[in-house]
Amino acid sequence: MIRVVLPVHLRTLARVNGEVMVEVDGDATQRAVLDALEAKYPVLRGTIRDHGGGKRRPFVRFFACGQDLSHEPPDSRLPEAVRNAQEPFLVVGAIAGG
Amino acid sequence: MIGNGSGKLTNEEVLRYSRHLIMPEVGRAGQERLKAARVLCVGTGGLGSPVALYLAAAGVGTLGVVDFDVVDSTNLQRQIIHTTADVGRPKVQSATEKIAAINPFVKVERYDTKLTSANALEIVREFDIVADGTDNFPTRYLVNDACVLTGKLNVYASIFRFEGQASVFAAENGPCYRCLYPEPPPPGMVPSCAEGGVLGILPGLLGVMQATEVIKLILGSGEPLIGRLLLVDALSMRFRELAIKKDPECPVCGVNATVKALIDYDQFCGVGRENAVETAKVPEIEPEELKRRLDSGEDILVLDVREPHEYEICNLGARLIPLGQLAERVGELDPTLEIVAHCKGGVRSAKAVELLRNLGFHRVSSLAGGILRWSEKVDSSIPKY
Repeated sequence: MIRVVLPVHLRTLARVNGEVMVEVDGDATQRAVLDALEAKYPVLRGTIRDHGGGKRRPFVRFFACGQDLSHEPPDSRLPEAVRNAQEPFLVVGAIAGG
Repeated sequence: MIGNGSGKLTNEEVLRYSRHLIMPEVGRAGQERLKAARVLCVGTGGLGSPVALYLAAAGVGTLGVVDFDVVDSTNLQRQIIHTTADVGRPKVQSATEKIAAINPFVKVERYDTKLTSANALEIVREFDIVADGTDNFPTRYLVNDACVLTGKLNVYASIFRFEGQASVFAAENGPCYRCLYPEPPPPGMVPSCAEGGVLGILPGLLGVMQATEVIKLILGSGEPLIGRLLLVDALSMRFRELAIKKDPECPVCGVNATVKALIDYDQFCGVGRENAVETAKVPEIEPEELKRRLDSGEDILVLDVREPHEYEICNLGARLIPLGQLAERVGELDPTLEIVAHCKGGVRSAKAVELLRNLGFHRVSSLAGGILRWSEKVDSSIPKY
């Protein structure tokens, strides 16, 4: 299982509280985690990655273990701490309130 | 070096700042740097309030305050620089008075105006550091670009509901806001605090972090939040620090930057487009007309598409199906009935009408201006929120 933290507006959209757990078959890559997330919560399709090419949207970033994974290839393996659910995979989105 | 001008302290100031002066990290030289520093607070709202109050108390010599707004009663839950007696008064006037009351040694430069592409460079250029306390995406990008183009540090925080983000942008070797988020979300995707709410204390937490970063940058002490994004979750009281890097491809601060002047930020952020399209393409009914038709006994289903907690604040006794559940619960509605959908202001109900029309409902319209306009035009006993 992979722990995923979503921005608050996407948690509202997916109607979840706190972290989300997703099951990934095979290698836990960024793409596999996001595919599993969108399969579990279809309403999130298009909000994190675009509908067409599955590219990360520019107002969203991916982090894990304090590091920015946004520019990592989507098929590279996530850090071990994420793969063994010690650390979550973070989806961070722009907010503008003040 | 910031604040390297003439900041000689009077004896009265030495006493006032004594708790700073006895710390070697500040000392007399540091306090004089604070006195010589010029900091611009963009916005005197939730974030701007604690930023301005603490920087004034700390002895920052010159504070610029920019805000075009007047104090509203809905501000008072978090904008602690304003009081109940200030409702209806210009925010910069209210803020200036509070700053002077806390510390008469601080000089305030007031800008009772909206920060725009036409005036931002001229204003920002006059200061050493900018504290971004704005509340919308277009101004966030405007402040960022103005800071990058003038070489000023941008001490950033933003908030939504129980969560906040903070960083220091536009430092020479650090990322800018556009390196982090090259483009804003489409309008309507990420709700504003006015739409989604915000814990009143949260801007206090984040604003104090901004003020702390400003002071550190002036003093040249500690580790500034450059290249680090701090995430704050007040509900779990969890803080996360994330490494962020300068984007060499950034259109504003990258090696081949293409943005050399300020642009139209409303257009960049798509402001005004989506709501105009949403409401323009669906039939609407004015509140007075709906009231007249309901009073005459016409068989109309009024459908409230807001969230249940909004329904609890006020309602018209209508059937509640939140917009997010409408597609899956559409079977609960009789397609032969005339339906008028309403929400808070008319945007979500327009989306609901579009959805219902796509699902084969033909006699559907949206209540123009939502329950807010109903409160204004038909029934003032309905509270606004």
